[in-house]
Amino acid sequence: MSEADQRWERVRNILLWLAIPLIIGALAASAVPQPVVGVIRLEDAIYTYSAQNTIKQIQYAIDHPEVRAVVLVMDSPGGTVVDTESIYMELTRLREKKPVVTVVNGMAASGGYYLSVNTDYIYAKPTSLVGNIGVIGYLPPAPFVIEDIITTGPYKLWGAPRDSDMRQIEMIKQGFFEAVKLGRGDKLTGKDSVTFSGQIWSGIDGLQLGIIDEFGTENDGAKKAAELAKVANYKVLDLSVPAGADLYGYYFFMADADGVTLPYPKEAGVYMLYIPPLPVK
Amino acid sequence: MKRQSITIAILALILPALLRGLWYYRGIPERSEIATPDYASFERPAPIINTPDTENIEQVGGTVVIDGYHANQFTINEIEALTAALRARGGNIETAADSLTLEILLKTASAFVSVSPSATFTQYETQLLKSFTERGGRILVFTDATRNALYFDYISGNPIAYGDANGANSLLKHFDISVNNDYLYNTEKNEGNFRNVIFDDFGKNELTFGLDEVAFYGSRSIKTDSGLLLLQGADTNLSSLDDAHDPNAGGAVLSADGTVAAFGDFTFLSAPYSAYTDNAALIQNLADFALSGSQQPSLELFPYIFTSNSVQVFVSPELEKDPSMVTALGGLQSSLRYLNLDLQFVDEVPSTGDAILIGSFDATEDFEDFLLKADVEIGDEAISTVAFGDVTKPGNGLVIFEPGKKGNTLLLLAGSPEDVIAMIGAASYGSLGTCLTSEQVAVCSVGTSDDYYYEDTSSDTVDETSTESADQSAEPTPEATPTPSG
Repeated sequence: MSEADQRWERVRNILLWLAIPLIIGALAASAVPQPVVGVIRLEDAIYTYSAQNTIKQIQYAIDHPEVRAVVLVMDSPGGTVVDTESIYMELTRLREKKPVVTVVNGMAASGGYYLSVNTDYIYAKPTSLVGNIGVIGYLPPAPFVIEDIITTGPYKLWGAPRDSDMRQIEMIKQGFFEAVKLGRGDKLTGKDSVTFSGQIWSGIDGLQLGIIDEFGTENDGAKKAAELAKVANYKVLDLSVPAGADLYGYYFFMADADGVTLPYPKEAGVYMLYIPPLPVK
Repeated sequence: MKRQSITIAILALILPALLRGLWYYRGIPERSEIATPDYASFERPAPIINTPDTENIEQVGGTVVIDGYHANQFTINEIEALTAALRARGGNIETAADSLTLEILLKTASAFVSVSPSATFTQYETQLLKSFTERGGRILVFTDATRNALYFDYISGNPIAYGDANGANSLLKHFDISVNNDYLYNTEKNEGNFRNVIFDDFGKNELTFGLDEVAFYGSRSIKTDSGLLLLQGADTNLSSLDDAHDPNAGGAVLSADGTVAAFGDFTFLSAPYSAYTDNAALIQNLADFALSGSQQPSLELFPYIFTSNSVQVFVSPELEKDPSMVTALGGLQSSLRYLNLDLQFVDEVPSTGDAILIGSFDATEDFEDFLLKADVEIGDEAISTVAFGDVTKPGNGLVIFEPGKKGNTLLLLAGSPEDVIAMIGAASYGSLGTCLTSEQVAVCSVGTSDDYYYEDTSSDTVDETSTESADQSAEPTPEATPTPSG
C-alpha cells in the first residue's frame, strides 16, 4: 500500500470511526435539553383566575422534564381559602419531583405565605411583608325568614349558624398552622404565640423569626433553585407564556365610587387574606 | 484494531451528549416526600353545653331597670337569657328612657342594668345611682369589646373605634371600678376562637357560686383596687393593650360594698353562648344578685313607700270633709291610682297595713306615737325636729314616714284646714322636691299662714305718690318688647 493510500486509509478511519460518530453524537446531544428554571409569578390576590393561571404553570412545570426547578415569585396578600388550597396541593405534586424556591417581592401574606411554606426555600427583601398567618371570615347574620324567599331549610339562605361558622374558621386555621409547621419545621425560631399571632412582618423580622430563609432577588432564587435541582448553565423561563396562562382576571377587591381599589374582597366568605389599613386619603 | 475503532466510534458518539449533560447537569436531585397537613384529622372545636337546674326557683319579685338612653349598643333580645332568668323569679323589667324616668323607676327598683353604654353618665345620674346603691339597690354594668362605633379620622382616613369603656367608666369610677378599652384573648386555651376567653379562677362570692368555667366572647378587662375580682383566667389570657396578662384584671369585678358588678362582655347573655360552659349558671346567679337588691323605705322614695296595693286613709275628725277637702282627697286618690294603689278611708288610726294619716297640729292625740318615734315635738309656735331644728308652725306642714313590719305609715300634719289641703296637694303631686327632707321627716312650706305675707302698712300713710302708684298699678303701662328689628 502506497504511502498515499495509507494516509487516505488513516483519514478514512478517522472520519469513519471518530468524526462521523462525533458529528452524529453532537447532533444527538442536542436532544439533551438545556435545563430550565421556570418562573411562576403570583402577583395578585389568590382567587379563581389567578389560581387557575398559577396551576396551569405548575402543571406545565410538572409535565416538561426540561423544567428542572421552579421559582415562585410572590407578591400576594393571599385570597380565598379554597383557591389557596388548590395551589398548595398542586405545589405539593410539583415539589415531589422538582425543587421550588419562593422569592417574595412585595409581600407573601396570609394565603401567599401559606403557599410559600410549601416551597424549599424562601427569599424576601428586607422590607417585603411576610406572615399574617391566619384566617379571616365574615359571619352570616342571625337567620331570619323573608316573605318572598322560600328555602328548604333554616340555613339554606345563611349557610350556617354564626357560631358554627366561627368554629369552622377555627378548623381551617388548624390546616394553615399545620402547613406552616410542616413547611418551616425547625427553622421557626419564634414562639408559637408570636408566629401564629397573625402579625405581618418585614423581611428583617421574618428572617429573625425563621419565617424566611434569606434575603435575595429573583436571580438568587433561580440560582438556589438550580442548585437544589443540581443543574448549571440553565435557562430562566417565565412559564406563563408556554403554559398559556391568561393573565387577565377580574377585580377581586372592592372599589369605591371613585374607582379606587379598597383592600376588602368583593364577596363575603372565608379568606386567607391580609387586609391592610386604609390608605391615607 | 477494528474493536478499538468501534470503541472510539462509540465514545465519539456519546461524548458530545456526555459533555453536554455534564455541562448542564451536576447530579440527581433528591426529593423526599412532602409532608402536608392531614386535613381529614382536623375537627371544629366543640363547645361544652351545660343546662342549669331552673326548677324550684324562688319567686322573689322585684323590678330591674334597664338603661335605655346612654347610646347603649345592644338590643334587648341580646340579653334574653338574663331577662328570662329575671322573669322566672317574678322580676319585672322596666326601661329608663331618660334621667327623669330613671329617678322615678329607681325608687321601686331592685337593680339597674346598663349594657354597653357608649354615652357618659351625668353627675346627676351618677348621684342618683350612688344613692340607689346606698339604699340597697344593685347595679350591673355590662361592656363588650365587640361593640364599637367606627369613625374615620378626617386627616388619615383611618378607622377609629369608640367603644363603651368611657361610658361605663363615667359611672363605675364612683365605685372604684375601671373598664379597660381593650379586649382579652388567649391563643392557647379558648372557647372556639382566640377572642373567646375562658375564666376558671373565681373570686368567692354568690355571683360565682357553683361555677367551674365560664367563657366570654370578646371581653374587656376590668379592674378594681378595693373590690373583688370575680372572674380571672389563665396566665395566657392576655390584654390587647399590651399583649400581657394582668393578674389584677379580669372579666368581671364586684365593688367593695358588694352592690355594683361590672362585666367585660354581654355576648354570653345571648343564645347560643348563654348555654356554653357554666355561663347559664352565671346568668342564674346574676338574676339572683339583681333581685336581691332591696331598698330601705324612706321619704326619699316618696311616693313609692308602700308595701301593698291598698292604703288606708284616716282623716282626723276635727278636719271637716268640706268641698275643698273632698277635692284634695279625690286628687290624692287619683294620683295614687296611677301607682296602682287603692285608697280605703277608715275612721280610726289603723294598726296594721299601709296607711296615710291626715291631721292638724291642734289635735295630735292620735299621732303621738308617730311624733315620738320621729323625735318631733310640736310646740305652740314651732315644730322641733332633730333633722332641721326648730321650724315655725305657721305656714309649714309636717310629713312623717314610719316604716313598720306590718305596713308603712305616712303622716301629714299642718296648722289649718287650708294648709292640710295644701299638704294633701303636695302628696298628690308625688314629689317632696320643695320640702326639707330627711329619711323619715319632711317639712313643707304650705304658704297660707297669716305670717307668711309681710304686713302691708302702706295703706296707713296714703299720700299722693302712693295714690299715683296705685293708679299706675291699676293701669300698668305695658313695657316695650324688644323685637329682632330693634
